Amino acid sequence: MGNRLLKALAATTALMALATAADAKTVVRMMHQGDPGWVALYGKVAERFEAANPDVDIELIYAPHDAYNEKFSSAVMSRQLPDIMELDAPFLANYVWSGYLKPIKSYIDQDLLDDMTASNVAQGTYPIDKELYAIGLTDSSVVLYGNKKYLEQIGARIPTSVDDAWTRAEFEDYLGKLAKVDGVKWPIDTFRGYGIKTEWVTYAYQPILNSFGCDLIDRTTWKAEGTLDSQPCVDALGMMQTWVKNGWVVPMSSGTNQFYADGEPAALAWGGHWFYAEAAAKLKDDVVVMPLPKFGDKSASPDGTWIWAITSQSEHPDVAGKFLSFLLKDKDYRDYAVSQSAYPGLKSFAAQSPLYAEGGPMAVAFEQASKAAVPRPPHPAYPTITSAFMQAVDQIFNGEDAQKTLTAAARKIDEDIADNDGYPPFDGN
Amino acid sequence: MSALTTVPKPKRRRRSIIARVGWPRFLQEIGMLAPAVLLMTAFLITPFLLSFWTAMTNQPLVPRPTPVRFVGLNNFLRILNDDLFWTSLWNVTRFTLWILPVQCGLAFLTALILNQKIPFRNVFRGMFFLPAITSMVVVCVIWGTLFQYPTGPLNHIVVALSGGTIQPIDWLGDPNWAMFSLVLLSAWQAYGFQMIIYLAGMQGIPDELYDAARIDGAGRWGRFWHVTMPGLRPTHVFVLVITTIQAFKLYTQVAILTQGGPKSSTETVVHYMVRAGFEEQKLGYASAVSVILFLIVLVIALVQRRLMRRFDV
Repeated sequence: MGNRLLKALAATTALMALATAADAKTVVRMMHQGDPGWVALYGKVAERFEAANPDVDIELIYAPHDAYNEKFSSAVMSRQLPDIMELDAPFLANYVWSGYLKPIKSYIDQDLLDDMTASNVAQGTYPIDKELYAIGLTDSSVVLYGNKKYLEQIGARIPTSVDDAWTRAEFEDYLGKLAKVDGVKWPIDTFRGYGIKTEWVTYAYQPILNSFGCDLIDRTTWKAEGTLDSQPCVDALGMMQTWVKNGWVVPMSSGTNQFYADGEPAALAWGGHWFYAEAAAKLKDDVVVMPLPKFGDKSASPDGTWIWAITSQSEHPDVAGKFLSFLLKDKDYRDYAVSQSAYPGLKSFAAQSPLYAEGGPMAVAFEQASKAAVPRPPHPAYPTITSAFMQAVDQIFNGEDAQKTLTAAARKIDEDIADNDGYPPFDGN
Repeated sequence: MSALTTVPKPKRRRRSIIARVGWPRFLQEIGMLAPAVLLMTAFLITPFLLSFWTAMTNQPLVPRPTPVRFVGLNNFLRILNDDLFWTSLWNVTRFTLWILPVQCGLAFLTALILNQKIPFRNVFRGMFFLPAITSMVVVCVIWGTLFQYPTGPLNHIVVALSGGTIQPIDWLGDPNWAMFSLVLLSAWQAYGFQMIIYLAGMQGIPDELYDAARIDGAGRWGRFWHVTMPGLRPTHVFVLVITTIQAFKLYTQVAILTQGGPKSSTETVVHYMVRAGFEEQKLGYASAVSVILFLIVLVIALVQRRLMRRFDV
């Protein structure tokens, strides 16, 4: 008996020694979101990196997309910040202001930094110190997809460049005509199916405000009252309310595939660049990619996507940076991104993406980015700004008065900014 | 006889516990209480008291470069001035008023049926109890599919049963229907629990009462109204009260299926609190909401005690 106990003890000690040996490895924790395809891919890239760097252990932490910020906050509270984190570009200002991130330039391979497109640099830069805090393989955009079959039936003009985008009058006229076409159940899908509490709402609808000549918040005084509740914004959301009321928009509970589902019930789709891959797989050449309509004097389109940053608490920022550089150059990562019709944010990756090249089917998205992209407000109050706006959009789409709702939303944003003393130095101090 | 009534009650003499049980026993009892008391203090009482304090500050969820300040009753004033808070309070009230009859009624009916001597009684009891032990998250995902508009199974049934006179309903996307849809799925998920309580209550009614009623010539209805119902009075009160308190804490279904929409028609107090605390990162504000919710639930609990005492539970 005693003998057996001794053996067990010896085995335990040996195991503990092994565990300590494993601890001697440099552990780099990476927090990310994404569909199962991406999750699997990160796992493979991490394995390859570990094979090449046996002293490093990459630990992947998955957090779901729609609850990412909540998960991240919990990590901050429990002082378990990862070394590397994926973040949605508009939240960058909040994270940097709160002190979670490190400037990234010194940790990333120089050739990658030189490879970044202007929009990629913009989304990773903190406006106060003009430092780069994050880098991505991709950027993003939203375009208007059309079903060629239906568009030909109503004789719609098909714009090929941002400069001849549909005007509001044309667009609404087509929506009305499409509603009467056989087979069309809804003239347009604006992807309400993503839910009401998702960044999509602010990301995809802010350009409509911008095109009307207003914004979520004034970007010099950082006040929402007087901007978000101004007449152009009220008109913009009032217009969308009318579309919904007319039954032109795919309702929330009908999913996000009505553009290409059996019978093709939705004629147009106000969709992200990633939607091209799934739509084209089903509809093939019937998919027409058009720039977003011009509602007022100017065109506007969104930008910003999920990008990579190194946290300020990281004990091994150099290893983290090495892994990020490895990831961004990884062939499988890029190939998978291409298969998801990813929007290039590195010049070398753009060269690998014929989709966005001159004459490619998504070329118009690339053109949009250079001529019309308006980032979401790079301000630390962004979590409140987007939350208030999402809530307002849900109210208005369901028939609430646009002026009243936007006034309440603007007040809520300004209250938050006041509560935080204007988020210095964003208040000019 | 009169002697019996005049016997004075023995006077209670106040003696300290230690004097009564002795030191060793006293220490032993304290020792046994200690772990529970310590844990309760650390994880229940302290956070609870802290939340009162947090409610009066502008404490953010995660540390920020700006200082945390005492703001007095500012958070409370803001909440009480926020239309959305009142909407959410009205919504949970609405939810409660709907779910009470639906869920308790369903539980009561199934309990009545399963209290009869029918074949495979225990199998049925188990089956009816199944939803109650299924995770609400799973239930929500399944019902989300059932509710799909316009081609979900539930809509097929509605259209088929009405012979096409009723158009498909946007269960979760129509502000007029969304809360009712949540009532349906919540009642289905949870009624098993109330059913078990009713069953226990029914089995607690002595058979002699039924026998006596039968001898007195009471029929089925007579026995139901004059024996079963009065015998279940305390059960009724208990079931109503726990269902009410549960209903006031409605959150999971909303978070998964509707996120408070459409048009805030399913916004609830708890969801409002989570949104303020986690999404907008205003912990102080969210704490103030939790204090208000606590006061509401406290009032309900006090009314409950009053009722229970009246019904001699």
